[in-house]
Amino acid sequence: MQTKNQKKVIAYRKRCHAKGTGLSHYILLDKKVK
Amino acid sequence: MRSTRSAVRCASSRGDWINSGNGPAFQPIDIGHPDYMGVLEADTAFWSLVRKENLPELFTGGSLAREYAGRAELFAEEMQALRFGLKPSAVYFNCTERCNLNCSYCYIPEKMRRYGRHMEAARLLDALEILGNHFRQTIEDRKPQIIFHGAEPLMNREAMFAGIRAYRDVFRFGIQTNAVLLDRETVGFLKEHEVSIGISIDGPDMQVSDRTRVNWNAEGVFDKLKSVLDELRDQSNLSVICTVTSQNMRDLTRLVEFYHQAGVEVCMLNPVRCTLEGARQIKPPDEELAHHYLAALDRTYQLYQETGRKLIVANFANIILSIVAPSARRLMCDISPCGAGRCFFALAPNGDVFPCSEFIGLPAFTGGNLFESDLNQILESEPFGLVKGRRVEDIIPCRSCAIRHFCGSPCPAEAFEMGGTMQCPGAFCGLYEQQVRYALRLLADQKSDAYLWDGWDHETENVFQYEQI
Repeated sequence: MQTKNQKKVIAYRKRCHAKGTGLSHYILLDKKVK
Repeated sequence: MRSTRSAVRCASSRGDWINSGNGPAFQPIDIGHPDYMGVLEADTAFWSLVRKENLPELFTGGSLAREYAGRAELFAEEMQALRFGLKPSAVYFNCTERCNLNCSYCYIPEKMRRYGRHMEAARLLDALEILGNHFRQTIEDRKPQIIFHGAEPLMNREAMFAGIRAYRDVFRFGIQTNAVLLDRETVGFLKEHEVSIGISIDGPDMQVSDRTRVNWNAEGVFDKLKSVLDELRDQSNLSVICTVTSQNMRDLTRLVEFYHQAGVEVCMLNPVRCTLEGARQIKPPDEELAHHYLAALDRTYQLYQETGRKLIVANFANIILSIVAPSARRLMCDISPCGAGRCFFALAPNGDVFPCSEFIGLPAFTGGNLFESDLNQILESEPFGLVKGRRVEDIIPCRSCAIRHFCGSPCPAEAFEMGGTMQCPGAFCGLYEQQVRYALRLLADQKSDAYLWDGWDHETENVFQYEQI
């Protein structure tokens, strides 16, 4: 059950070593989803 | 050197106030949420969500602006590196011009697909040798990627297999195929050599799929695609692509149900690229497309709730990432400049090198020939410079758009062919507006992780965290 968000302000950001290489004609997967 | 922000702060402003002088340029946007507004700083791709009743507080000395100011340079440097500091690490390798299908929206000219040539095996091996030598000089931390791409790469199967056998230790290989020639032997080889497989299926049934994906006798191929999908059910590293047109946009919800039922874990719902005239004739109108598109995204969420199994729509997931973790994005179409020529490039069967597969039908964008010219010179050639130099800052209305770095205004080939200049917006501005707002609503409702693959943030670090209760 989703709880309603009561926060006045939400902001976050994450960062990693950029590896972006794909174009939308194809995506190379190396992560599994559940 | 280009910069996302002015490198020299010559104004005397202390930056104390939002939206004047050197203060942060915070743009409030309506995201269609009952409680929250988005507040964005476009240049640094900074996002926040603010309860509507708290907006005046934010703009009159709230602490968010101070917290942001302390990180703004870091964010700007991150965007600079992401936009201008990457090196190519993937090649879209077209080993044949020919295709066994005649899809109405294809970006490769019909004459080429029908009568074109293959790259001979020896030539293909030479190309991989050249590319391997190049990447050894430029990439240290991972294997470069080779994606055999179309036209239909399985039309030249034996040459492609020879390349995979010989260079499996040098490259990570993938193949994007229309799946018609994916027989058991072929699938076995690809599995054995750990080749990722992408297949294209545009509809949940014959009636929809066969509107656009037909062979040269105008016969549909859905039955074959369905049987291949069944065959690949347990295949890891499988993705499915749908090209969304006016012919199938109303069926997207049924399509994601079909994918999910077939065990697909990752798909892409790609609005048709309007580079060639055939595609433009079936371009869906943005508003109508957005309606169906977001309904399909809603359905993936419901399916996850019902079954515990996700179907990731990778191109939408990429938009969420562009907001919460810009450097974690995988796809480099929705960024400005796009990845063409700077993150990847495309190789044609005759050895000509293009910034992206999308340009293969546009000879003016050849940077040179892999067998005749130095690859470094090709990557710095004038056509590549034209594409790599296409920035949202130079495009109207993108230059003043709050979401310009969540969208990137793709794609340059499409924009150039539709508008005659690189400084035209992409074909689906309205759709991106809706997708970004949808993504921000998910963030407000804490639902975004349901749209991302598990573990997406394992290699990330938090660089900003602000919550006001």
